[in-house]
Amino acid sequence: MYHTGSFIRGRSLVHRLDPRVKLSAALVFSIFILWVKPSLALASGVILLFPALISGIRPRTLVQAIKPLLFLIVLIFMVHVFFSDGSGEAPGGQTFHGLSFSRTGFQEAFWVVWRFLCLMVAAILLTMTTAPSQMIAAVKYFLKPLKKVRVPVDELAVMLLLALKLMPILLTEKERIETAQKARGYDASRSGWVTRLKSFSHLTSKILTGVFRRADELALAMDARNFRRGERSSLVELKLTSSDYIVMGLLIFFFIIFVALNSHFG
Amino acid sequence: MLIHLEDVYYTYETEGIEALRGVSLQIQEGEHLAIIGPNGCGKTTLIRHLNALLLPARGKVTVDGLKTDHPKHQAEIRAQIGMVFQNPDHQIVGMTVEEDVAFGPENLRLPSDEIKKRVTEAMSRAGIAKLAGRGIENLSGGEKRLVAIAGVLAMRPRFIALDEPTAFLDPAAAGRVLDMIDRLHAEGVGIIHITHNMAEAALTQRVVVMREGRILLDGTPPEIFGKAAMLKQSGMQLPQITELLLELKEAGLPVRTDIVHMKDALDQIIALTGKKQG
Repeated sequence: MYHTGSFIRGRSLVHRLDPRVKLSAALVFSIFILWVKPSLALASGVILLFPALISGIRPRTLVQAIKPLLFLIVLIFMVHVFFSDGSGEAPGGQTFHGLSFSRTGFQEAFWVVWRFLCLMVAAILLTMTTAPSQMIAAVKYFLKPLKKVRVPVDELAVMLLLALKLMPILLTEKERIETAQKARGYDASRSGWVTRLKSFSHLTSKILTGVFRRADELALAMDARNFRRGERSSLVELKLTSSDYIVMGLLIFFFIIFVALNSHFG
Repeated sequence: MLIHLEDVYYTYETEGIEALRGVSLQIQEGEHLAIIGPNGCGKTTLIRHLNALLLPARGKVTVDGLKTDHPKHQAEIRAQIGMVFQNPDHQIVGMTVEEDVAFGPENLRLPSDEIKKRVTEAMSRAGIAKLAGRGIENLSGGEKRLVAIAGVLAMRPRFIALDEPTAFLDPAAAGRVLDMIDRLHAEGVGIIHITHNMAEAALTQRVVVMREGRILLDGTPPEIFGKAAMLKQSGMQLPQITELLLELKEAGLPVRTDIVHMKDALDQIIALTGKKQG
């Protein structure tokens, strides 16, 4: 079964990079793409294609990962097309079923969707090329200073691991219950809205009951394997290599160039 | 190392079920013990007392003299007695095989190099070294069971308690799990094995029969399966070999019915027919 953003094992340069470098790059890129001028956002998006290509992840897999969010993308686009004020534009724009839209609205919608897509691709690339244990080790590394103010960083890391593990469990549980319903002759697609709503609430309560039962058992199993509050060691040893330093250098270089260009065109 | 349960009582308060009613038991270092009994007789509750997952409402449980109800002893006890749950999906924490096997040693706060060493060793002992980087969701039921056992082995326990380790497995996968249990026992690890499969129980050194939260019988497999009437009365089956010998006896043949191994049964039948093994 395929799940959005699942880690895909590989040996590419992107896979081999230190998770701290990848996480920082993704964070800086996300802030950057929301902040820069449209033309630079377009260029940043094009640059993003480079790690996507060398990661060895097939474009089809990336599209598949974006697919579940297609509805949201279309919604964002429509909202911007129809609700943009179109100020500075000549009056008398086009209408569609009583809703007016303008060229500015279209432009604005395009850039918002572009930035949103860039954010998604960056996040998907990060999770597809970084093993969850590596990601957790990176998060733990960045949160380490908070230990001084008694933030339970190790527990937070385990919570993150369990949350990542829970996503596919929820989907599997949903599929299991739906199959059981179908096996007994229930077909949601043939029912009215009220029945569907009732069925949805039934499904949700079933999933939650199953997940809570499983969480109880998992907590017991964790106890059995000596899980205690406080510090834990880790299988993952984070070490920066020469490729990490080169990639960091390139990222800083591009960052400075883009900041300079952004202020120049501003 | 000695596990000692003394007059242990336990009640699940929410359900109001008295699961253990005065259980006393001693388990010696390196012993291979099977616990059998009908559903709800307290087998799982009993083994969960061994590594302090459950604490007795009355009575006491000690491991090498350490009382399980003492919070300071629990980490040491859990490192010594590993627990493999009935459903591996409820036990596996990591997202890949390697990550999950590392979970226990990480909790023991071992250095990264030592964790890697233990993970490699445990996976190889469990025969799953080639699965190291595989995602858990891509494993078969049998493989998951072996991962769960490897996760416990990485903590280098002296005892492993397994709750129905071959349940829901096909014969080939069950065979792999049983072979591994045998190997571990040969290496000196004590095995406490809950099972509904009487053939599995017959292969151990000692069988404990439970009924309604109490220990009904405790002895070697031939001693236990020799008491066929008592077992049947308690709703349990007998190993097929024992059943066969009982049928033969009923048919008037002078056979012993306290035999649980195929080879011994064959020897007896061959002796009766007057032929020698080739």
